[in-house]
Amino acid sequence: MTINKRKKPTSVNPIKIGQSLGAVLAMQGCYRAMPIVHGSQGCSAFSKALLTRHFREPIAVQTSALQEMDVIFDANRNLEEALNTVLSKHRPDIIGIIGTELTDVAGVDYQSMLKSYKRERNMRGGLAFSVTLPDFRGSLESGFSSTVEAMIDEMIQQVGPRGSRNVNTRQITLLPGSFLTPGDVMELKEIISAFGFEVIAVPDISTSLSGHLLTGFSPLTRGGVPLDSMLQSLQSGLTIAIGGSMERPARRLHNALGTPYKVFQGAMGLKAADELLHFLHQISGESVPLRYCWQRENLLDSMLDAHFQFAGMSTLIALEPDHLYSVSQWLEELGVEQKALITSYETPVVVEMEREIWIGDLDDAEFLGKGADLWIGNSHGISGAERIDAAFMPAGFPVWNELGAYMSTSVGYRGAMEWTNKAGNLLMQREARHRESSIRHR
Amino acid sequence: MEPIRKDEIDAQECGSVTPKSKPCPRPKPGEAAGGCSFDGAQITLLPIMDAAHLVHGPIACAGNSWESRGTLTSGPSLSQYGFATDLNDTDIIFGGEKKLRDSINYIAERFAPPAIFVYATCVTALIGEDMDAVCKEAAERLAIPVIPVNSPGFVGSKNLGNRLAGEALLQYVIGTGEPEREIPLGVNLIGEYNIAGEMWDIEKLMNSAGITLMSRITGDARYKEITWAHRAKVNMVVCSRALLGLAKEMESRYNIPYFEGSFYGAKETTYSLRQMAFLMNDREMERRVDRLTEREESRLIQDLRPYRKLLKGKKAVLYTGGVKSWSIISALKELGVQVVGVGTNKSTEDDVRRIADRVGDDTEYIPEGGASRIIKTVRERKADIMIAGGRNMYVAMKEQIPFIDINQERHKAYAGYEGLLRLAKELTYSLANPIWKLAASPAPWDKEDPYDH
Repeated sequence: MTINKRKKPTSVNPIKIGQSLGAVLAMQGCYRAMPIVHGSQGCSAFSKALLTRHFREPIAVQTSALQEMDVIFDANRNLEEALNTVLSKHRPDIIGIIGTELTDVAGVDYQSMLKSYKRERNMRGGLAFSVTLPDFRGSLESGFSSTVEAMIDEMIQQVGPRGSRNVNTRQITLLPGSFLTPGDVMELKEIISAFGFEVIAVPDISTSLSGHLLTGFSPLTRGGVPLDSMLQSLQSGLTIAIGGSMERPARRLHNALGTPYKVFQGAMGLKAADELLHFLHQISGESVPLRYCWQRENLLDSMLDAHFQFAGMSTLIALEPDHLYSVSQWLEELGVEQKALITSYETPVVVEMEREIWIGDLDDAEFLGKGADLWIGNSHGISGAERIDAAFMPAGFPVWNELGAYMSTSVGYRGAMEWTNKAGNLLMQREARHRESSIRHR
Repeated sequence: MEPIRKDEIDAQECGSVTPKSKPCPRPKPGEAAGGCSFDGAQITLLPIMDAAHLVHGPIACAGNSWESRGTLTSGPSLSQYGFATDLNDTDIIFGGEKKLRDSINYIAERFAPPAIFVYATCVTALIGEDMDAVCKEAAERLAIPVIPVNSPGFVGSKNLGNRLAGEALLQYVIGTGEPEREIPLGVNLIGEYNIAGEMWDIEKLMNSAGITLMSRITGDARYKEITWAHRAKVNMVVCSRALLGLAKEMESRYNIPYFEGSFYGAKETTYSLRQMAFLMNDREMERRVDRLTEREESRLIQDLRPYRKLLKGKKAVLYTGGVKSWSIISALKELGVQVVGVGTNKSTEDDVRRIADRVGDDTEYIPEGGASRIIKTVRERKADIMIAGGRNMYVAMKEQIPFIDINQERHKAYAGYEGLLRLAKELTYSLANPIWKLAASPAPWDKEDPYDH
């Protein structure tokens, strides 16, 4: 409804994450892939360190390692060298060239360089694409969805005209948004397949970043959706996109191949889960599996149990746009006051929200959310939450102060229940702490 | 890549002192690892806890890196704030100098820091922002030091960034202040960043020996104390090649003798403390240090006994990727752990010589090649444990190799006598954890014999 911005020249405790990190994340969900960040070493090293810290998994990423003179003379020579090295040493199935602010400002044309490279090498059988992601626009979310879009574009180009399509109506392509954890993607795949569908998630971080014990080190991604499944996903009868940011890639599939799509903007809470399951029930003609009927009741019962805890409570949410929307929808069902909603950049989803949204940073969150009981956001918020004496609930990216955050589930009935209990517990503990200190003060 | 022997090691002077005989090796696109110079500069300067650190550039340089270092504070925490000018498209086109000026004003007014460090990034360097001029003007107007740190990511490696940060300290900070009371015999610690609180352990030791710590450069430092670092009697460079230049320059400018030392392992710790007293030329202090080190060492021997029994003959592969390698080797040797492989990718010739002095002849040197090379060495040498930086931690976990984190993200302090005991404990806990056995055995239904009922 309204988008606001506090007037100040500096970003203080940024919530924004560079777009290229979103690209690296998206590519972790593809099997035997290698993202190459076209920038200086730090552009990939920071992403790698931060993703490693959050997921507690090795992260596949390489860099063109640009130095000053390379940028001035010929940045693409570095890229070519990087491509040669990566191709000859690791033979990846998928390569993504991720352009950064550095290549953008220097005006490096790596798109046509990649095209001629592919032509000269007669590269077939793999997928190589490029995507331009300077960090003076967007954030993690846009980097992620743009990369998925670029990947889909490249796949469409590779398979050619739509005539060759053999549509499989029992197969669904799932486009999960950047805010979904490996646990979430796993849950969504399970829900969709429970209605008798084959589901291919693009990308699929549920099989790569959820934790596995494959031995035999590879610098490429381990797990994720394999290239042949990705190509097979072009035959799907339907695309389901989770999160408004994934509408663009879904629309690409629709425009090029005619695949109908359905976007679920929200993924959390009773209503969102109802919508998804009702939709799947309608298109499949299958009845809703008994376990989901049970889970629905479990959720409602846990909300009844918890509602005492949420009475009169207020929250502050500082998350990426799609995630903010989802969490806000869920909190609405709990009857909690939403004191301040802060996000990293403006998207159609947040513009259309019937609330006051702030584009800002965690310092704004502290200021606007003063007096809130619960702070929901990434681990950078810990000290801010402490300063305004709010209970802290880690969510989004990066989360480093909690084990297994990457497996926590927020979607479906089970997810909503998990989050409801978690939030309730945090408020309960805070109340107990306050009680203790007030006794001491007497 | 073939393993190479110590006599074959290619000398690298990168990040070390003047004069440079060879240029820094260019990172190899497609197989480069490690951070950039901007990262390096921040590692060196962020431990100045009460200063504000403003990153001039688009968001990622600050947004993807703030609050990611394990350096701890005992008080002020302004340095843990992430400040960025967060440049957007229009700023890039029309220049970000105004935004930078406004940002400096804003921070000075709202947080009243004793100093503001302003970091250049690749983009601002490329569009030719005149950061020095903006900082100079702001410093005069606001009457606080505003220090430009010209170490954009693309000038080179992390080591170079450390060095450039040291140069900024020399140029703008050291020598600009005087201590509140006269400290006749003070020592500066250079290159100790208080990761996991190591500075505090060292400080405690120095206090018990009656040695005054003059300036911490820069672990848990306050801006003020660095301004009077030139009044110290001795500089100790704590296993940091990159800041050796700073010590050398301070020697020629202020006549402060320096020595290189480390606090990893009892021997190195004792040596370092003795060296401080020796360079002070204070007999009384030397005696105090001798008494202290004797007492601490004999106590440590007692405390270590049970752990040494468990660790004796265990093999480790060490990959710290930097200058710390030789000092950690000493510590491990004292625990009876044999180092069978050691990373030398960022070590200088001098470091390698020191490594060579400390390891056996059959130790493998890992010059580069990243995670896959380390794993290969671990496997071939049948190592029991891997000691490396956080970046490689989950690679080790995937291979089910016991692991100790030794770099800047770690949570355990290993410096001094206490630190060695802690390292011994960590090593035994890690090796003895039941998970290695559990993870190595298959699920019951995957066990081989199908007729086993």
